Amino acid sequence: MTEEPLKRWLCLGCGFSYDEALGLPEHGLAAGTRWKDVPEDWVCPDCGTPKYLFEMVEIGYAAGGPDLARAA
Amino acid sequence: MTTPAAALAVSAASSKVNSFVLRAGERGHDIIRSDGSRASYVAGHPDGFITRESSFNFHDYQSGRPGFGPVRVFGDETFHGAGCGYNMHPHHNFVICAFVLEGELTHINTAGAGMVDQLRQGDYYVFSAGSGGKHSELSISQEDMNAIYLWILPGQLYLPPSYHRAHFDFRKRRDRIEQLVGDADGALPMPQDLRVSRLVTDGGKKFTYTPRTTSHGTYIFVISGAVKINDTLLERRDSMAVWGVDKVDLFTEAYATDLLIVEAAMIDDAHIKEWEKEQGAHHR
Repeated sequence: MTEEPLKRWLCLGCGFSYDEALGLPEHGLAAGTRWKDVPEDWVCPDCGTPKYLFEMVEIGYAAGGPDLARAA
Repeated sequence: MTTPAAALAVSAASSKVNSFVLRAGERGHDIIRSDGSRASYVAGHPDGFITRESSFNFHDYQSGRPGFGPVRVFGDETFHGAGCGYNMHPHHNFVICAFVLEGELTHINTAGAGMVDQLRQGDYYVFSAGSGGKHSELSISQEDMNAIYLWILPGQLYLPPSYHRAHFDFRKRRDRIEQLVGDADGALPMPQDLRVSRLVTDGGKKFTYTPRTTSHGTYIFVISGAVKINDTLLERRDSMAVWGVDKVDLFTEAYATDLLIVEAAMIDDAHIKEWEKEQGAHHR
């Protein structure tokens, strides 16, 4: 079985990111939670933008980025 | 609306020439009141409101072209009434640029070292939200404030936040395409493969904009005046994009023509291509 690479999604309302690899443990989404498994009624914790207004992005992290994303 | 590639009298080094024209009235239109959650001791007045004309991503992102290269928002916004604006709200990652055309803009942000700035006609800023912070955009005086706002996806996520600002003096920098944001001498830095230029000139002149490569697209927005590109006449607040060409000839048609030119790498636009495909399917 080939695993789909883990992806990153960006909120078009404010730039908040959801990284499948990191999840959002504080919001009940364990690391490794796929975007499709994030509840449909989930909204951006920063600005309330609904899930369907996030965009999948292929943008790498700046140095230290994953730690900053965890703390965001 | 797409101009057929065959009709374009452009110098095409690449076999695939793309373009679209967006008339002023075809942009998304929103009225945003400065009350409720947008109001606070720092921003907001029951009578204040913002009018926003969006080239991309408009109507709750549900219709309209989703973007241009890494640009997701190109908003022509007017703040009406004293105390009108957006209250403090969080941002990450997006690079936000404002070009003030009229009035006075107060910008407050808490990213990195933080910044309180006041910008007037000709002033512009590049605010890279990076690892995050809040910002507020305000018009304090009675005079209307008109600015062009761009939101750009960064080259990397969670960069250290930065804020840079400068002034474009249209009396001194007339009759030439002046790079305001990008990699040119004196331009404000941009953490993305993107340039913003401005041309203030008169009618009856020809200028040539040369993108870095044919895979860089050029988006031309008419702040005022008129310009003809590939036999398409663009007037106040009309815009046009061309990509897959090695140069774009601009023929100015009116006294006091003022153009904003955005050049961007047309990469990572799977989302935009998907939208174009859907639009194409609808038009068949």
